[in-house]
Amino acid sequence: MIEARGLTKRYGPKTAVDGISFTVQPGQVTGFLGPNGAGKSTTMRMIMGLDRPTAGSVTVNGQPYAAHRSPLTEVGALLDAKAVHTGRSAYNHLLAMAATHNIPKTRVQEVIEMTGLQSVAKKRVGGFSLGMGQRLGIASALLGDPKTLILDEPVNGLDPEGVLWVRNLARYLASEGRTVFLSSHLMSEVALTADHIIVIGKGRIIANAPVKDIVDGGAQHTVRVRTPQATQLAELLTRDGATVTSDEPSLLQITGVEAPGIGELAAASGIVLHELTPVTSTLEEAYMLLTADSVEYQTESATQHVGHGVDSPADAPISEGAKR
Amino acid sequence: MTAATVSAARPTAQRASSARLTFGGVLKSEWIKLWTLRSTVWTLAITVVVMVGIALMFAAIINIPDVETSGADGASMSDFFPSATIVTIGYSVGQLAIAVLGVLAITGEYSTGMIRSTFSAVPRRLPAFFAKLAVLFVTSFVVTLLGVGLSALVTAPLLSNQGMALDLGSSDNVRILVGAALYVATISALSLGIGALLRSTAGAIFTVVGLLMVVPQILSIVAMATGNKVVENIYKFLPGVAGERLLATGGSIDPMTGASASGALEPWVGYGVLVGWTVLVLVVAAVLLKRRDA
Repeated sequence: MIEARGLTKRYGPKTAVDGISFTVQPGQVTGFLGPNGAGKSTTMRMIMGLDRPTAGSVTVNGQPYAAHRSPLTEVGALLDAKAVHTGRSAYNHLLAMAATHNIPKTRVQEVIEMTGLQSVAKKRVGGFSLGMGQRLGIASALLGDPKTLILDEPVNGLDPEGVLWVRNLARYLASEGRTVFLSSHLMSEVALTADHIIVIGKGRIIANAPVKDIVDGGAQHTVRVRTPQATQLAELLTRDGATVTSDEPSLLQITGVEAPGIGELAAASGIVLHELTPVTSTLEEAYMLLTADSVEYQTESATQHVGHGVDSPADAPISEGAKR
Repeated sequence: MTAATVSAARPTAQRASSARLTFGGVLKSEWIKLWTLRSTVWTLAITVVVMVGIALMFAAIINIPDVETSGADGASMSDFFPSATIVTIGYSVGQLAIAVLGVLAITGEYSTGMIRSTFSAVPRRLPAFFAKLAVLFVTSFVVTLLGVGLSALVTAPLLSNQGMALDLGSSDNVRILVGAALYVATISALSLGIGALLRSTAGAIFTVVGLLMVVPQILSIVAMATGNKVVENIYKFLPGVAGERLLATGGSIDPMTGASASGALEPWVGYGVLVGWTVLVLVVAAVLLKRRDA
């Protein structure tokens, strides 16, 4: 369990993390999603006590990380892949890390096998590929058999098999009742792995909801209609409670009414349609909209500016959490 | 592979309860970290080789017949270079290799990102720093003492040839021999502190070498040229200059410059000054290490 309260980090005039509060629950995988520079890594470093918060606090399993008597068995962290001395072998690195907590050598061997590093364990880390570095980082994180795992971009540089492995591992660890908090800038990756998603943009939390809610919100149906009588159709649809937006004069984006309904309405009113296409916005699109500009993020839906901008199709169900 | 690796995580869940962070464990970790880097083996090997080589060179020089009893004022070679000084003289170069080791012990972690792993395992940070200090100090002491011992062995035939066999019954000799190791080990601690302060390998090595080699040279030249008392006092209290007094021979002769050093610090007072410098640097480094973002 990770609990952050008003967590803030400023570097001079720049605010990297802006008073965020969230809770990461045990027994599930929580995805921490945001574009590069959103404050994911800074937040994770603050959880690990590596960066000192400018304001606010964060606890892991009930205490600040540094207050634990056995930190590595409480939290295992993979923070930006290469937090390893390049001149030391993977085995010796793990051995040194294990020694601090009197973790036996057999466990070192175990995590090496678990992460598939057997063949390179005695080689110096300097020659490792990004993928091998990532595996070593995950091995270090697992060393203390921790209750909470913090993985910063764990699938970075991994091959497809490695990506699948991380996904299964994260899900497995969560199924054992552990807290798993992993960051990514890829919505598709997090959607496949996580049960709960926290979206961060420009240092603030934009969304904090179960994956199901975000999927439902993101998968909202839109229908694209091309017609020479756009204004007339838009009026009719709006009267029926649909939301209509438009990018160009003869093109409408309609939500709230399905394609058959629009076709029938058009036929009944004698409106010519040139195109009638149901569009399912993907998760990725929802995420792009969420993070495109967290300042301009809109909380009101059902606005109907014909010929002006695009409404976020995903804002309504996931608007909580964007405090301050 | 996927299924196998995931299930392999299972048998570990009940065991980790025995794992606990202890200072002994942190010491062991720092010991492993020190000895699993090639730079450690290199710097320590260089230290010993340089110490033995220089001692051998000096012992050989006094064996050249013409040089044997030179000295315009009738002073013999052995007045300038008593056997204990010859045996330990290589420390002056050897300390540079040890200083590099001390700097790298911490800056190597900052430059590679290892420091984040270290502080994740030891989030209170200072135990890791002090463990590193202890391991480094003991290693530097033992290796320098080994260098002194080997130097004594290798030069023994040449020295006894001149009737200068090293007398281990003399307390001054014991002070010089053990003092060389103590001085060099303290320099390693000072270097670690400077490395932790600057967090940059190049910057810290430059600073340490400047402090031990360049600044004393400049100040001694200025002091000699101007006779300025203030400059002379600053020179006397420089960490390296003061610490090296621990290796001073009974006569008031500076083993480095050969110049008369009347008014120089007593051996243990001088060493005390170096310890003071080192403690000061380490305390400031520890405070910053604890406060700064890793």
